[in-house]
Amino acid sequence: MPGFILKRLLYGLLVVFGVLTVVFLLFNVLPGDPARMMLGQRADINSVAAINKDLGRDKPIFLQYLNFLNDVSPMSIHNCKDDNSFWYLDSSKYMPFISIASVSFSKIVILKIPYLRRSYQSKKKVSEIISEAFPKTFLLAIVSMAFALIVGIFIGILSAIYKDSYFDHTSLVLSVLGMSLPSFFAAVLFAWIFAYLLADFTHLNMVGSLYTVDDFGEGEYLSIKNLILPAVTLGIRPLAVVVELTRSSMLEVLSQDYIRTARAKGLSNRKVIMAHALKNAMNPVITAASGWLASLLAGAVFIEYIFDWKGMGTVIVDALEKYDFPVVMGCVLFISILLIFINIFVDVIYGLLDPRIRKN
Amino acid sequence: MFFEIEIGSKEGTILVRKIQLTVIQKDMCLLDIQNLSVSFLQDGVEYIAIKKLDLCVKRGETVGIVGESGSGKSVTALAIMGLLPSGISKIRSGNILFSPENGREMDLLALSDKEKQHYRGSKISMVFQEPMTSLNPVMRCGKQVAEVISLHEKLDHKAAREKVIKLFAEVKIQDPKGVYEAYPHEISGGQKQRVMLAMAISCKPALLIADEPTTALDVTVQKTILRLFRELQETYGMGIIFISHDLSIVSEIANTIVVMKKGEIVESGPASSVFTDPRHPYTQGLLACRPPLDRRIRILPTVDDFLRNEGKTGVALKESADNIIGIAERTDYLKKLYEKEAILRIKDIEVKFPDQHSFFGRTVSWKHVVNKISLDIYPGETLGLVGESGCGKTTLGRSILRLVDTCGGQIHYKGMDIGKLPAGELRKFRKNLQIIFQDPYSSLNPRLKVGDCILEPMKVHSILDNDRKRVEKVMEILKRVGLDEGHYNRYPHQFSGGQRQRICIARALALQPEFIICDESVSALDISLQAQVLNLLNELKKDFGFTYIFISHDLSVVKFMSDRIVVMEKGNIVEEGDADAIYNSPKSEYTRQLIAAIPG
Repeated sequence: MPGFILKRLLYGLLVVFGVLTVVFLLFNVLPGDPARMMLGQRADINSVAAINKDLGRDKPIFLQYLNFLNDVSPMSIHNCKDDNSFWYLDSSKYMPFISIASVSFSKIVILKIPYLRRSYQSKKKVSEIISEAFPKTFLLAIVSMAFALIVGIFIGILSAIYKDSYFDHTSLVLSVLGMSLPSFFAAVLFAWIFAYLLADFTHLNMVGSLYTVDDFGEGEYLSIKNLILPAVTLGIRPLAVVVELTRSSMLEVLSQDYIRTARAKGLSNRKVIMAHALKNAMNPVITAASGWLASLLAGAVFIEYIFDWKGMGTVIVDALEKYDFPVVMGCVLFISILLIFINIFVDVIYGLLDPRIRKN
Repeated sequence: MFFEIEIGSKEGTILVRKIQLTVIQKDMCLLDIQNLSVSFLQDGVEYIAIKKLDLCVKRGETVGIVGESGSGKSVTALAIMGLLPSGISKIRSGNILFSPENGREMDLLALSDKEKQHYRGSKISMVFQEPMTSLNPVMRCGKQVAEVISLHEKLDHKAAREKVIKLFAEVKIQDPKGVYEAYPHEISGGQKQRVMLAMAISCKPALLIADEPTTALDVTVQKTILRLFRELQETYGMGIIFISHDLSIVSEIANTIVVMKKGEIVESGPASSVFTDPRHPYTQGLLACRPPLDRRIRILPTVDDFLRNEGKTGVALKESADNIIGIAERTDYLKKLYEKEAILRIKDIEVKFPDQHSFFGRTVSWKHVVNKISLDIYPGETLGLVGESGCGKTTLGRSILRLVDTCGGQIHYKGMDIGKLPAGELRKFRKNLQIIFQDPYSSLNPRLKVGDCILEPMKVHSILDNDRKRVEKVMEILKRVGLDEGHYNRYPHQFSGGQRQRICIARALALQPEFIICDESVSALDISLQAQVLNLLNELKKDFGFTYIFISHDLSVVKFMSDRIVVMEKGNIVEEGDADAIYNSPKSEYTRQLIAAIPG
């Protein structure tokens, strides 16, 4: 198993490298002057020149690429003396860092948070923007997926056991409905019902992010209850999919010979399901859930917009709208690397669930 | 039952006598099935699976139930276990009386679910047909057995583990501790069936039901498993119900034989008398349709031959001298056969599969499946390829079609080197060589009408000008293999196993090949269907002049079919020669083992 994980990690690193290269090429080699694209056609020459220098546009493309990798890598090498150097250890870019070794008189190796440039709008570091937005998206995605998985698997199993019962039919109809309900519509509908019509009972807000500024504008406080509506809304479609997948996969597994063996052992129905059927039935559900989780982590644009949830989706859409390329580029990089690691994680789970996969 | 016996005048004496009589009465049967009828609902139509069945299994006795698939023998077993599929099956009448201890009798059909769970696995246990799929693939073998023990005997984890390892040793698993930790895919089919057996005897059941426990196994493995059954019965003294489609297997192990047909018992009696002197034509048919070993016959009698016109056809086929191929005739035939130029020449062919990989995916060690084998096959002959599973016979067959890649050697077909054919040419060439696979259930696409399934290869190879002509041809072929035109628009699941194998044969025929490889083509079939399919293959050979490679693990079938036999072991040829000579005077120890393993 450790070898299996190590191998996956190595593959993952290769893919990360590929992603970095592709993103760099997309933003640098494609026709168009990045400085002009960032600043617009009416920008003054000085700003354009400043951006070009910052990006190292006067240097050969290969050096630019190396510099980009150096910026993105958590461990990098820099010139700490000459502030005109392309590799200059600019504290405004790389703070905070730990220097771990000096290679020569002027060059040192540092550990740092990857530098993804600065936003052109807010002038904040992209890494800061992501580290503010991502936890919110992460929480939203995890909670909605957990909701979908726990409720979905439970309903799916019951549907499979009581096949063709009223419960089964109702859950099937509802899951078709849930799957075909567009998320923006569900969001508005839920907000209206639970935060407007029933607001007196539920005490939920129509909109709101994870942190709320209090009425006097003094300090932020955590408001977990704002999570409920967006998470449930976001969880509805994965929930519907999980119900259907669990049900069909469970039905198939329940018709297998080894389930008959388990019954012949004298195991109770509950034990047959929990100890023998469930683990075998989970593969398709995990495939679907991991894909879904990955796409949720990249931001659920509609839901975040409607509930004013300041996560990755909102950040990316804003940046695209304003041609804020460093932010877009940083987010793309971050999300792709995240997806790679989710994939590795899921592979490991497959291996844990099914020994036959582990062997190959 | 009440016995009115007056002995003396003392009240007590009468009472004692009465009780003794009841005890003996109950001791008669461990399991007493009375008047059992079970029906199934299929596509909204109810049909009777078991009709008024009566069956008694005594303590320590082995009862063999024999019949074709669909005769209701598995349904009987599932009814005893209380495992009939709910919803579609219904018990219409009858009792299943079970008395695990003397005097305590219960009706299994009247028990609640909870009570059923209690006796399942502990008092009555079951071994299923398919060891490959009957074990949970994601649970360690040992744990699957330990589960039963901790459930019924309330042992803790450690004690259960020790007991399982002891049981594994008892069912003769070589490495009990290793198998305890192994997952089912890591051990062989025979070992899996031993694990199933260990599971079945783990709580010392009073009754063990074995549903075709050896059908999916090699003949040599089958023999050892049968022996194990006998030994376990001696040790544990349990009653056994042994279900099989093959009368000769059952006769090796059973004390009493019950023959079932369409849900009814047609014959029953002591094993020796049923086997040597069968009364019912159906039983006679079942016995006769196994290929005879002592002589060479043209046509195998089938069960139908015995059921039609009072069994005259069957008896005639079995006994008439016309049906026996004499020595002189055979010598003459073989001489003519081997005068011709070989149609297929295999030289030093080698196949290996990657076994272990290094960290970076390079293959470190190889598994040699076929080791430099050379063979010539002559036009019009049937070459039998026999050996245990894993001996490389299937791989050799597939490598001839280039369905697996060879690592060395040449294959010449009519002087043409198949190994060097480019992909496009190879596709065209494949028309000449066809293969009929083992499992007619999984080798037919379930979503394709059988007619289209036969039509498809004709289209690919542009045989005949247009689809109308092709459809006509398909109809003709369907009739030729014993199906009818109406079957064109049906789907595979609407056919029985034997019919499906006929469809597979029809598909191979559609391309008008010269050479057909039959890869275990009858191994998945009931013995009565096997006879029909073998006869069909022989008829087709006579009509179209095919050359066959007939691959099987069953030497008796291979002997019946083949002119020449090649015995394979671990990728090598151990023996090669005239079919009768190999059977009558085997030279290698391995061949002798294969012959000894033939049941009956």
